[in-house]
Amino acid sequence: MKFYRVNVEEREALGSYTLLRYRWNGPVEPGQFVMARTAGYPITLDPFLARPFSFYDHDGGVASFLFEVRGRGTALLDAASSIEVTAPLGKRFRIELGLGRAALLGGGIGVAPLKILGRHLDAMGVPHDVFLGFADAAASVVAKDFPGAEVATMDGAVGTRGTVLNASGALTNYGAIYSCGPNSMLAAVKLAAGKNSLCQLSVEERMGCGNGSCNGCVVPVHGGYVRSCIEGPVFDAEVLAW
Amino acid sequence: MVVRVQETGVDLEVELFGIPLRTPLIPASGTLSKEALDEVEGVYGAMLPKTTTPVARVGNPPPRVAETPAGMVNSIGLQNPGVERFLQDLEVFDLGIPLFVSVAGDTVAEFASLCEILSGVERISAVELNLSCPNVECGGLAFCAGASSVEELVVACRSIVGNKPILAKLTNEGVVENARAAEAAGADGLTVINTLPALTIDARTRKVLVRGGLSGPAIKPVALRAVYDVSGVVDVPVVGSGGVASGTDVAEFMLAGATAVQVGTTSFVRDPQEILAEFTAYLKESGLGASQLTGAVRSPDPGVPVPRPKPVHKSSRH
Repeated sequence: MKFYRVNVEEREALGSYTLLRYRWNGPVEPGQFVMARTAGYPITLDPFLARPFSFYDHDGGVASFLFEVRGRGTALLDAASSIEVTAPLGKRFRIELGLGRAALLGGGIGVAPLKILGRHLDAMGVPHDVFLGFADAAASVVAKDFPGAEVATMDGAVGTRGTVLNASGALTNYGAIYSCGPNSMLAAVKLAAGKNSLCQLSVEERMGCGNGSCNGCVVPVHGGYVRSCIEGPVFDAEVLAW
Repeated sequence: MVVRVQETGVDLEVELFGIPLRTPLIPASGTLSKEALDEVEGVYGAMLPKTTTPVARVGNPPPRVAETPAGMVNSIGLQNPGVERFLQDLEVFDLGIPLFVSVAGDTVAEFASLCEILSGVERISAVELNLSCPNVECGGLAFCAGASSVEELVVACRSIVGNKPILAKLTNEGVVENARAAEAAGADGLTVINTLPALTIDARTRKVLVRGGLSGPAIKPVALRAVYDVSGVVDVPVVGSGGVASGTDVAEFMLAGATAVQVGTTSFVRDPQEILAEFTAYLKESGLGASQLTGAVRSPDPGVPVPRPKPVHKSSRH
C-alpha cells in the first residue's frame, strides 16, 4: 500500500482525545477512513501496521482525525511532526433526501465521523439531531465541537447519565439514523432504530492492511463475514448479523 | 512509478520451472486482494491470489489479526468463495503475467480434486499447495507435519495436475526433510516458508487475542535460513517467502538460493513498487542480472562489488 508523508498542521488536545489536522487536498466523503502511522525510513517496525481512523473533518485542504492514545502507535501519532497516510478508504455514509429528520449517534471515539457527516447534511439541507455518549467527563470534551448536541456520560458527570440512547430517547420518529461507536452500542442503536428508517452504522475493527488484502477486519453478516475496510466501514444495519 | 527493464537497463527477468517471470517478485498468497491490484502494476513476475478451497469457507470469527513488533499474527481461516466461484472470477487476477493458484483442502482427496479442476484451466500456469492447513484424516496435524504426509499429498497432486508445475509451500518446522520429500514426490518447486506459529495475549482483558501465524520482517532471518538450507539440498527451484520488506531483502533471499521471492505482509505498509525499485538499484550497482543472484552466496568467489542501495521512498503532499 502506498503511503504519503504529510506534515501535521495542528494537534488539539480534547480531554481524553487528540484531534490531528494535516494538509490533504484529496476527496474525502463522510464515513471514509484514513490509515495513518508515524513516518519511518522506509517503514517503521514497531509499531509495524498503520492504524485506521475515521475522518473527523475535511475543509479547505485540511483533513483531521480523532484518536485516543491507547498504545505505542497512537502515542507516537500524538508526538510526530510528520505522519504517513493513505486515504480515502472505505464506503461512505449514504445520504438520502426526503427522509425527514436524521439522528446522529456517536459513542466515545466513534463520534469522529459524525462531524464531517453533519457538515454534509447541513450542506444538503437535511435537518438532524446529534447525540453523543462518553465514558466520563474527560472523554466528553470533544462534544464542544458539536454545538447543540445532547450528551450522555456513563458516570453522569456531564449531561444525561447512561448511554447515548439515554440521551436520545426513542429513535422511531427519525427518517434516517447514522451511528458510529463500539459494536455493542451499534447493536443497541440498530434495535432502537426499528425497521422503517435508513440506519447506517460505521463499525470499529482492528485492521491489518486497510485495502482488502488481509481479510483481518471482518464483521459478521448473514451467511459469513465481510471486510469492514472494503465492504464497510459503513453498513446498512440490516446487513450486520448482530 | 513503474520500473521497466527498458528504462533501467537492468535485467530483472528470472525463469521459474521454465516459466519466464519479468521480475522475481510474486505476491504471497492471501496478501493481495483484487481491490489492490491497481497499486502493483509492473511489480510482479507472477500473480498468486488467496488460497482456494473446494467449497467456500467463511473463515474464523474476529479478532483475526494482531500487531506484533515488526510483524503481525493472523488467523483468517482461509476465508474464500470456493473454487467454482474463484474460477468464474479468474479474469480479475489476469494481469497479463503468469497466474499461479494456491490451493488447500481438508484431505489428500480434496487437494487432488482441486488439482484436477485446475489442470483443465489453461490460464493457470502453476499450482501452489498450501501444506500448512490441517489434515482432518491425521487428527488435524498439518499436511507438512511429516515428510510422509508431504510425500503422499504431492504424489497425489502431481499425478493429476497434468503438465502444470507444482509449488509445495512449506512451513519452517522440518523444512529440510519436507523439502526433500516434496522434491522426491515430484514437486517442481518449493515455497519456503509459511507463517510461524504464534500467539498474542491481551493482558488487559486476560484473554488470548489471536492464535495463528506470525508474518512480517520479524520472521525474515528464520525464512532466510530455511531458504539457504533447503536450496543446499534440493535441485528444484526455491521461492523465498517470509518478511521480505526491501529490495535488499529480495537480493538476500536470492543470494541464499531463491529463484523468486514472495512479498506479503510488508505490502500492507509499503508500496511494493519501492521494493522493486530498490532491488533494481541493487542490480544496477552490482552489474548483475536478477537470475545471476540465485545461490551466489555459496559461490567461492562472489566476484561482485557490494552495493548499498538507498531505500527508495517517495514523499509527496496531497
